[in-house]
Formats: sequence, C-alpha cells, structure tokens
Amino acid sequence: MLKHDVVIVGAGLAGLRACVELRKNGIDAIIVSKVYPTRSHSGAAQGGVNAAFDKDDSWESHFFDTVKGSDYLGDQDAIEILTSEAPANILDLQKMGVIFNRNDEGGIAQRPFGGQSFPRSCYYADAVGHMMLHGLFDNVLKYKTKILYEYFVTGLSVNNGRVTGVVTYDIKTGKFEGIAAKAVLFATGGYGQVYSSNTNALINTGDGMAVALRAGVPLMDMEFVQFHPTTLKSTGILVTEGARGEGAYLLNSLGVRFMSKYAPKAMELASRDIVARAEQTEINEGRGVDGAILLDVRHLGKERIMERLPQILQLSIDFEGVNPIYEPIPIRPGAHYSMGGIKTDNDGKTLVEGFYSAGESACVSVHGANRLGGNSLLDTVVFGRRAGISIAKYIKDIDYGDFDGSLVKRDEEIFERLRNSKGNERHGLLKTELQEDMRKNVGVFRERSLMENAIKKIEELKERSKNIALDDKSKLFNTDIIEAFEFNNILLIAEVIARGAVLRKESRGAHYRNDFPERDDENWLKHTLARLNGKGKVEFNFTPVKITKFKPQPRTY
Amino acid sequence: MEFTVRSYRFNPEVDKQPYYKDYILNGFPSMTVLNALMKIKSETDGSLTFRRSCRSAICGSCAMKINGISKLACKTQVNSEITKFGIIKVEPLGNLPVVRDLVVEQESFFGKINEIKPYLLGIRENSPDEKFHVLKDGEKITQPVFHKSEFKALTGNNDTPNCILCECCFSECGTEVVNKKYLGPAALAKLYRYIEDPRDNDRDGSRLVNASKPNGIWDCVHCQACEQFCPKSISPVKSIVKLHEKAIKNSITFSKGAKHIIGIANSINKTGRLNEVKVAIDTVGLLGLMNDLPVVFRASLKGKIPSLKLKLIKDMDDIRLAFKELDREEE
Repeated sequence: MLKHDVVIVGAGLAGLRACVELRKNGIDAIIVSKVYPTRSHSGAAQGGVNAAFDKDDSWESHFFDTVKGSDYLGDQDAIEILTSEAPANILDLQKMGVIFNRNDEGGIAQRPFGGQSFPRSCYYADAVGHMMLHGLFDNVLKYKTKILYEYFVTGLSVNNGRVTGVVTYDIKTGKFEGIAAKAVLFATGGYGQVYSSNTNALINTGDGMAVALRAGVPLMDMEFVQFHPTTLKSTGILVTEGARGEGAYLLNSLGVRFMSKYAPKAMELASRDIVARAEQTEINEGRGVDGAILLDVRHLGKERIMERLPQILQLSIDFEGVNPIYEPIPIRPGAHYSMGGIKTDNDGKTLVEGFYSAGESACVSVHGANRLGGNSLLDTVVFGRRAGISIAKYIKDIDYGDFDGSLVKRDEEIFERLRNSKGNERHGLLKTELQEDMRKNVGVFRERSLMENAIKKIEELKERSKNIALDDKSKLFNTDIIEAFEFNNILLIAEVIARGAVLRKESRGAHYRNDFPERDDENWLKHTLARLNGKGKVEFNFTPVKITKFKPQPRTY
Repeated sequence: MEFTVRSYRFNPEVDKQPYYKDYILNGFPSMTVLNALMKIKSETDGSLTFRRSCRSAICGSCAMKINGISKLACKTQVNSEITKFGIIKVEPLGNLPVVRDLVVEQESFFGKINEIKPYLLGIRENSPDEKFHVLKDGEKITQPVFHKSEFKALTGNNDTPNCILCECCFSECGTEVVNKKYLGPAALAKLYRYIEDPRDNDRDGSRLVNASKPNGIWDCVHCQACEQFCPKSISPVKSIVKLHEKAIKNSITFSKGAKHIIGIANSINKTGRLNEVKVAIDTVGLLGLMNDLPVVFRASLKGKIPSLKLKLIKDMDDIRLAFKELDREEE
C-alpha cells in the first residue's frame, strides 16, 4: 500500500493550486487523477476570472455583486474572503507564469461579465481556463510532484471519524490499491453529466461528491444547478459569457433583444439564472428559432471577434457550422455548474477530520443559489490555496490513522461483480435516459409533479442498474467499467439534486419553481445538507446562512 | 446516413496481433467522429477503447489517426471524412506505443515536456515585490506593469501558449520516427513559450544551451508536419526556427546545426555560392570529415566532389549589401 502525507484527488485548478501550495513547502503531497492533469475540465473555462483591480472598482463592490448574484444564499464571510483575496491571487498566478491580456496602461486587461457592476474579468483571449490550468500544472512539474494519472478513486477510508486515505483503481492495470494519507483533498469538479445538453466534459460525473457522500460526508445545496445561457444548440458546448461581455446581443425569432423585458438595466449581462430563464421563456412561448435563441456578435466586427473571441469563432464553425462573423449563433441554456457540493469551511475543511475539498466539488458556499460568471475560476484558486495552507498546518503534528483495508476488498468485489454480471442493461443507455429525464424534469423550470417523475425514474434506474453488464472483461485500460462506475455516481448525485429540489419550496437563484415562484426568506434562507443514512436513503437537514454585511433585498438587474 | 467506422483494435491481454473491426452506424448531420465512437461504445461494443474528455477541442484527450491523419476526434466531422474517404478509419497516434485499441502510452511525450523545464526560471531584479496581500476595507492593490508588446509573441490566437498537448504534432513528426530521443515539436514550442516570456530570467542561457544539445532544436528537419497537423493552428516549427535564431544571436554555436547554418551564411557572404566542402568542414571539422572518408571516396570516383575553389558570382556586391542590411536590421 502506498503512503503519502497528502493525497489530492483531481488535477483541475483547485487541486493543482492546493498542490503548488503544499509542494513549494516541501510537503509530501501527490496528485491522483482519472485523467492526465491537462485534460481536466478547468481548461475549458473561457471568459474570465474576476478580481477588482481598477482604481474605480473595489473589492467591496465585487463582494456585494457576488452576494446579490447568490440570491443571498452565499455565506458572506466566505464571499468576503473570495473577493478581498482575489487580486492577490491573480497576481500570484501571474508570478507563477500565467499570462493575462494587458490593457493600455500595462495592467491586466478586464472585460465586463454578467451580474458584475464593473468590468473585472481578467482574461487570456477566450481561453483563460486553459492558460491557468497549464500555468499551474507547469508549477506542479517544477516542484517535482508525483502524479498518479489515470487512477480512479472509488472509496474514502474513514476511521473513527477521521479520513485516513483513499481507494484507487489503476485504469491501466485494473488493480485496486489503497493509499494511506494524513489528509485527503477532493478537488474532483462538478457533475454536469447528470444532464443531457450540458457544457461539461464527459469526465464530469460527480465522482468525488458521490464517493464522499457514500463515506458519510454531507453535501450542501445540491439542488442549485447553474444553466448557462449560451451553449451551442446542437452540442451544448460552451459559448463564453465573455461574448456578451464584449457586447453580443441575444435575439429571439422576431429579431428583438428580449432581455429588455427581463432585465432592463443589465440586459444581456444580467446574472446567468435570469438570462437562462428569459431564454427558456422565449423558447417556450414560441419566440425561439428551432428551439434555440440567437447570440449575435456580428456588430463587434471581424477584428474584435478574432482578437477577443477566437475560440468561440472556431467552436461555432467546427461544431455548429456557423460563422459568427456573418451569422448569429444558435444557442440555448445548458447545465453548466454545480453551486452545491461537499460542505466545507473557509479553509476547505469538511465536516470529517482530515478531509478537505475545494473547487466545484466543494460548497463553501461562495456561490449560493447562483454563481456569477468569472467567479468559479476565482473560487478554485482562492480556496485551493487556502486548503493547501490549512492542510499543511493540519498534518504537521499528526500521524497516519489506520487505513480501512476492507474498502479495497469491497471495491474489488463491486468491480468483479460488474465484470461478471450476466445482466441485460447497458450503462451507456441508462445514462442517456437519466440525462434526458433530469433535463426535462429537474431543469431550468421546476415543479413538484415533474420532479416526482424524475425521482420515480431514478428509482427505476437504480433497480435496472443492478443488471448492468459489461462488454469489456479485460483488466487492461478498461474504460467500460469506469463508465459503469461513473454512471452509478451520477445516478446518486441526480437523486440528491432531485430530492433537494422537491424539498425546497421557493424560487431562489438557479432553483426556480413554477409552483413556488417567489423567494421565501422567512422559511428558506438556509442551506440544505444531504446525507446518506445506513439504508442508503438520502436524508436532509438545514444549516443557517452567514449574513454579515448585506441584508437580503429584492434582486433585480 | 449510414456509414462505416473501421477501428484499429488491439488488446495485448487477449489478442495475438492487431486487427480492424468494422461498425456500421447511422449518423446525424453534425455528428463528429467522437460522437460516432461514443455511440458504438454505448450501444454496441463497450470494449472499444479510447480517451476522451471535453469534446470541445481544448483538453487534447481524443487525438487519434483518422483516415491516416492525426486529428482530434471531437472536432472532426463525420460528413467531411465520409465525403473524402467514404469511411471513418481510426487508428492510434503514431510515434507512441499502443496500450490498447486507440489508447497510446504517453509517458515519453509528457516526459519530454517536463525535460525542457516548463516554468519560469529565476526572478528578475526589477520585478516588484509581489507578496501575497489580502485587501482590507477601502484598500486597493498595485499591479506590476507589463506592456502589451512584452507579451506580443505569446498572446496571438495561434501562439504557443494555446497548445493543448494533444500529441498530434508528435504523432506526425518526421524526426521522431527516426530518433525516439528527439524532444519533439510540442516540447520545443513550450520551450519557446518560456524563452519568450518577459518574466523568465534564465541568466546563464541554460534553456538554449540544453536545447542546442543533440535531440533538441537542431534535430528538427523542417518537414512542417507539426504545423500542418496542429488542430489549434499553432506552428511548432516556426518556434523552433526562432529558437535557432536566438541560439545563434546568443553565440550558442557549439552544435553542429548552428555551425552548419553559420558556415552556409559565411560561404554565401564570401563567394555568393555554397561551398559545400567548406560548409562540411565548418560543421563537423576536419576530424569529423574523416569519419565520412568512405563516402567522400566513393563520391569522388563518381565525380561528385564539388570544386574547392569557387568563382565569385557576378552580383557579389549586392549579396554583401544584403548581408549588411540584415546585420543592421538586427541591431
């Protein structure tokens, strides 16, 4: 069995940022990732990362914008940290080699983003996630870090209320191995694959959240799923909010900039929940174009499009067959980001000792009921760094706990059973059924009867998933078995989302209920915590929201 | 639309040798090759093995040979392949050992990226103090100043920082075929990215010195395949040529490659002609030439030894003027 002081699971921005913090202080931290680090989905982030730099901007304004964006569900002490540490974190990245576009004064160039009262999104054309991911990974290489890539984590060892390691499956050899650790950080990203028509990578199957939940760690605010307003109509591929930041229009079939009806001041740059609902309303009321809305950048001109939005230009041509210089891009809302996740404090600590989480897999909560564009990359580096610092302190005076070896056996048996199953269900098809159902019934607009259909479907799929059989019996690079395991993860996450969404009888941020269309601060200004009980049933309780500076107000843009 | 995917299959655990398997499937208008492979995997044959992640041409996972050319499966349209080739033939990338089916071993590729020290070296003396600073109420942060021009070579759409390490260039690289130790186009493009970075402070020029050793920048044969096949329209070969220039300008001329180029320039500057014998001596030295004596001997028998004494060409003054102009431009 391997033994390392710190095991970081996931090698996107949060994991890498934490890793750099630990490795530069000489700490024995390793990375375990189911893909090579540069394949992580952070790299697909396009538009920007927020920080108040301009002399006319202030971090306090960023603070308020984020609280308002969260529909007052974000914890204000955490958001204060996020926004006051933002500029220093960006400069830190710059020092590490990350490149940002420059403004005429030689500072970092910034563009407007939705829900932000000042242009404060720092960018590298429209590929800032890629730039940050590779920049941070290069630093992980600099500190000579051990990386177990193409290792899939299947279990979390918890002993006497303390996390003592992880169970891994080496995809290349098909062998299970436990890794004992003093501290474990899950930076495993989101679960976009719960939905059809999502912007996420195929690897985003909520593995970390599901593994944590099974190990008894609670998840928070899982009913809050962000639907991004601009994803390519046929594939769901992301079109950055930076396009609207640069001045793009949203048009309905009548050629009208319909946002004037929904957010007369902010127009296309209202927050994402509001724009996504506006689009869906236009489509539902018959003013869509073949089930889509048009994103028009033509008036920006060829030069600006090529300079600021080169990736969008290429993606539209390659994946939608549309050249945005000459034609508007057909887009629609798509599942994008999980506001919820593993509950942590402001230092990445979860409710279980020795266990940390950061990035999209975590819920601090800084995004509350709706994340603002440009705040997720910021979240990864601010809280990735803080988790690194806090882990370094924690492991200093502590010894390894006892690793629960029975877990390796448990997971080996699960895999063996799958490998030898004679069932007649295909996980790939079950996944499609689940995704379609979640899109229809727990999507942009929700109501009780629809969500209960979804829960029924989930229960049905849980039964049918017992009959999943594999085509691939090999031990060598068996991705069939990985996909089967991933399906079980998204199925569990879907259940938590759907049950949490039924429970929350109000509309707040991204969670909108036709049957409860108003925000209800009296009863629902609180976080939802989900746990698995001994029988594998999801149970909920609540925890208060931390409100420090800003009392909830009606939210308009 | 019905079409055939013909996939390379090889699982060393059970197969004695690689084979091809055909899958017939129905397409939809904007179907990509990755869509097709995923459809096969989820509906008919879960054992077909390939890597994939972002499906939007930014993660670099799904590079493979499609009808003989290294491409990203996620951004390759089925329609256009079928129109050109009538079939979708998929095979693993070249220049890397096959693990299974379309999955290749990537250790050597990533090892080479690591070898060039892909991170900033040293800290510039004039760089401002950038201690981590959390803002208090009403406080603002001061940023260090870097002008647009300083990042000019690194912020264009097709500049090297946009590389996604997908290995298409590596797979198509002509030098890599004959020399497995060659660092390869992606690593050298990455090297260029850090050399061009205004924050990099490689005081002793170790990057260029190391890259000038065998298996580095001078092993590139300029076949341009890396540029031709890059799915992000980046040109590693152009970066490599710029590295050549930088090496020579910084007098890092110990490599045969640098000597060869200097020899050619000198010969043309002097005579307007390429004095091949002189260039050969400049490149490998007299002793080095001795090793090639058998070749020299056979060539002389066939009358292939170029004359040692070359007449000046007619417009020699123009040539010299051109050289002078070039020198002045550089200054």
